[in-house]
Amino acid sequence: MTLTATAPTRPASTAKPQRRRGILSYWRFYLALSPFYLLFVVFGLYPVASTILLAFQKWDGLGPRKMVGLQNFRFLIEDSTFWLSLWNTVVLFVMSTAPTLVIAMTLAVMLHSAVRFKGIYRIAYFIPNITSLVAAAIFFAAVFSTNFGLINAGLRSLGLPTEDWLRQPWGIKIAISTMIVWQWAGYNTIIYLAGLQAIPTEQYEAAKVDGAGPFRTFFSITLPQLRPVVLFTVIMSTIGGLQTFTEPQVMVGNNGGTGQSGMTVVMYFYNQAFFNNDYGYAGAIALSIFMLVLLFTAINWKLLGGRGRQ
Amino acid sequence: MELSRRTLIAGGFAAMLGGTVAGCSSSMDAGTTKKNASGNIALWCWPGGLGKSVLDDTIAHFPDQHIKYSEVGGDFKQKLLTTFNGGTSIPDITGIKGEDIASMLPQANRFVDLKTIGADSILGDYLDWKVKQATTLDGKVLGIPIDIGPTALFYREDVFTAGGLPGDPAKVAEQMKTWDDFLAAGVELKKSNPKAFIVADAADLYGTIVNQGTARYIDKDNKFIGDQDHIRKAWDTAVKAITLKVDGKTLGGSPDWNAGLDKGTVPTVTGAAWVALDIKAACKTSVGKWRVAPTPSGPANFGGSFLAVTKNAADPAAAFEVIKYMLSADNEAKAFADAQIFPATPAAYDKPQLKAADPFFGGQVPIEVFGPAAKNIPIAYEAPLDSAVATPFTDELKLVQAGKKSSDAAWSSAVQKAKQIGKRQGVQ
Repeated sequence: MTLTATAPTRPASTAKPQRRRGILSYWRFYLALSPFYLLFVVFGLYPVASTILLAFQKWDGLGPRKMVGLQNFRFLIEDSTFWLSLWNTVVLFVMSTAPTLVIAMTLAVMLHSAVRFKGIYRIAYFIPNITSLVAAAIFFAAVFSTNFGLINAGLRSLGLPTEDWLRQPWGIKIAISTMIVWQWAGYNTIIYLAGLQAIPTEQYEAAKVDGAGPFRTFFSITLPQLRPVVLFTVIMSTIGGLQTFTEPQVMVGNNGGTGQSGMTVVMYFYNQAFFNNDYGYAGAIALSIFMLVLLFTAINWKLLGGRGRQ
Repeated sequence: MELSRRTLIAGGFAAMLGGTVAGCSSSMDAGTTKKNASGNIALWCWPGGLGKSVLDDTIAHFPDQHIKYSEVGGDFKQKLLTTFNGGTSIPDITGIKGEDIASMLPQANRFVDLKTIGADSILGDYLDWKVKQATTLDGKVLGIPIDIGPTALFYREDVFTAGGLPGDPAKVAEQMKTWDDFLAAGVELKKSNPKAFIVADAADLYGTIVNQGTARYIDKDNKFIGDQDHIRKAWDTAVKAITLKVDGKTLGGSPDWNAGLDKGTVPTVTGAAWVALDIKAACKTSVGKWRVAPTPSGPANFGGSFLAVTKNAADPAAAFEVIKYMLSADNEAKAFADAQIFPATPAAYDKPQLKAADPFFGGQVPIEVFGPAAKNIPIAYEAPLDSAVATPFTDELKLVQAGKKSSDAAWSSAVQKAKQIGKRQGVQ
C-alpha cells in the first residue's frame, strides 16, 4: 500500500453507494486531483513525518542520525528557555489577536454601513497584509527606537516620559504585537465584511420594526450570524499567531532581545536547528508547537463552534 | 475490499514513516562519497565573499579547469549542508564562513585535508591563529583563510577633543590602554557631554572582551569553563560600563545606532575592520571626523572566512591550485581594494592597496592600526558548541543593562543556562 492510496478515500467514502464500482473506475478524477496530493505528500506529509521522527533522534545536520528515544523531550521539560518561549508565544498571541479581531470587527461594521469610497477603504485596510514582513518589521523597529523613533518623539511632544521600547521586556512585546495588529486587522476586516454582506437584510428590517437600537442589533443579529466567520478568523489567527517568527526576529534579533522577551517557540526552534545544529532537539520543539496549535484550535472550536451548531 | 478511511490513513502514515526511516538510513552511510565529474571545478561562495576582480582573474587564469562560480545567497551554511545531504551537485570548492567553521570541524570527513595535497608549503603565508581556526584537534587543515576581521577602536575625533579627551590616535592609544582606562575616559567625556556614551552597547563590549581572551566557554577536553575567571572578568567590565552609566545601550546596526554615529551620541565603535563600511554608510556630516586607534586591552577578531575543498572534488589537487592562486598575498590585497575584504596574509599589508590613506578617517592610514592588530590576535580554542553556550551570557547581561536583574543574579542564571545547553550536547 502506498501513500497515494490515501488520496482516493475521501471522495470515495462520500460517493453515492449505487455508483461504487471500485476505486479504479474513478481514475480520471483521481488523476485530476493527483497534482495536489503528490505535492502535498512530497512537501507536506513527508517533512512532517520526517520531523516527528527527528524529534526522537540526535542529528547535527550532516553526520549520522542517532535514535535517542525520549531524551530530547526530557531536555525540553527542563529547559527554562523553552518554557519562556512558550509563555512569550501565548502572551504575544493574546496581545495581538484580541485587539486585531476587535478592531477588525469595528472596521467591518463601519465599512459595511459606509456609503462612499468603500473600495478605496477596503484596499487601504488590506495593503498592510501584503506588505513585505521584513520591510514592515524594519519600519516598526525604527518607529519604536529610543532616540529617533516616532513613538518617543510623539511622547516627548506631549511632555510625557519616553520609553526604551525595544530594550524593555514589555516594550518588546508591545512593539511586536502592535505590528501584528497593524498587519492583520485589515485582512480580518475584509473577511468580516464578506460575512456581514451575507446576512439577509430582512433580519435587520425586522429588528428595526421591533424597535432594536444599533447595539442590540449588533449583539443579537450581527454577532450570532457571524459566528462561523468569527470561528474561521480566530482559528486562522491562532495558527498564524502561535507561529510568530519574522516580526521579533527582525525587530530584536535572533535571541529575542532583553530577557528574551521576543523569543517565540518558532524562533527558538529555528535557533536550535540552524544556529546550534541540534536538529533533533529542534524537531522536538516543532512537535510541541504542533501540539500547541492543535490544542488551541480545539479550544476555539469548542468555545465558538459548539454553540453555533445548536 | 472494504477499507475504512481510518485504516488507510494509518497504513499510509506507517508507510510514510517507513519511507522516512529508509530515507535516513541511506543518508547515514553517506561516508562513501561520489566524485564529481572531472573537467570543471564548481566553486561556491556567498555574495561579496570574494573580490570581483580576483574572481574574474582566477577564472581567466585557469582556462582548462572551467571554473564555474555560483553565488549562493541566503543561509549559506544551511544550503551547503542540504546539498551535502542530497549527495549531488556538491561544489568542488566551497567558502565556509568564520562563524560556521567551528561547527564544520566535526564534519572533517566531508572535506579534503589540505595538508595531504600540499598546503604545508603555503600555510606559513597566512596568520597562524587564523589557520588554527580551520584545523581539527587531530591536525587536519580544512580551509585556507580568505579574510579576517581584526578589531580597532573607531572614534569621533571632534567629540573626543570637545570632551577634553585626546584626539590624536597615538595619544588615544596612549591614554586608553585598557578597558578600565577607556571607561574612565567615558566618565570624563560624559561630564561635559551628557549625551555621548563612550560604550555603544555593553553587551557588545562583553563579546569583544571574550574575543580578546585565550580561552572561551568550552576547553579542548569538552569541559565547560564559562563559569571561570576569564569570562567573569569580561562580564564584570561590561557591568562596570553599565554602573558607571557610560553605556549607550544602543544595539549595533539599529536605527538609533546609525543616527547616533553621525550625530555624535555614539562616538566610538569597537569593531572589526569591516565595520568601517557600516560606519561610512551611516555618516554624512561626520566624514573626516572619524579616527582609528588600537582596541583597548589588545586586539580581537570578528569573522573571516575560508575556502575548502570537498571530498567530492574530482581533482582535489587542481582545486587546491585554484585556491592557492586566488588567495595569494597579491590577490588578497586586490580583494581588499575590491570590497574591503581584509587579507589574512601579512605580506599583503605592505601592498599599495592597503597602504592608502583614507579621507573618511581624516587621512589616517588604517592599516597602521589593523596590521599590527591582525598579527597579535590571541589564539583561543572555539568548540563547535561555543556560540550556543555563549548566548545566555549576552541575554542575561541585557537584563542587567535594562535594570531588571542584579549582576550576580544574572551571572548565576547565565552559568546555569549555559551548562544546561552544554549538557544537552554532551559537554561536561
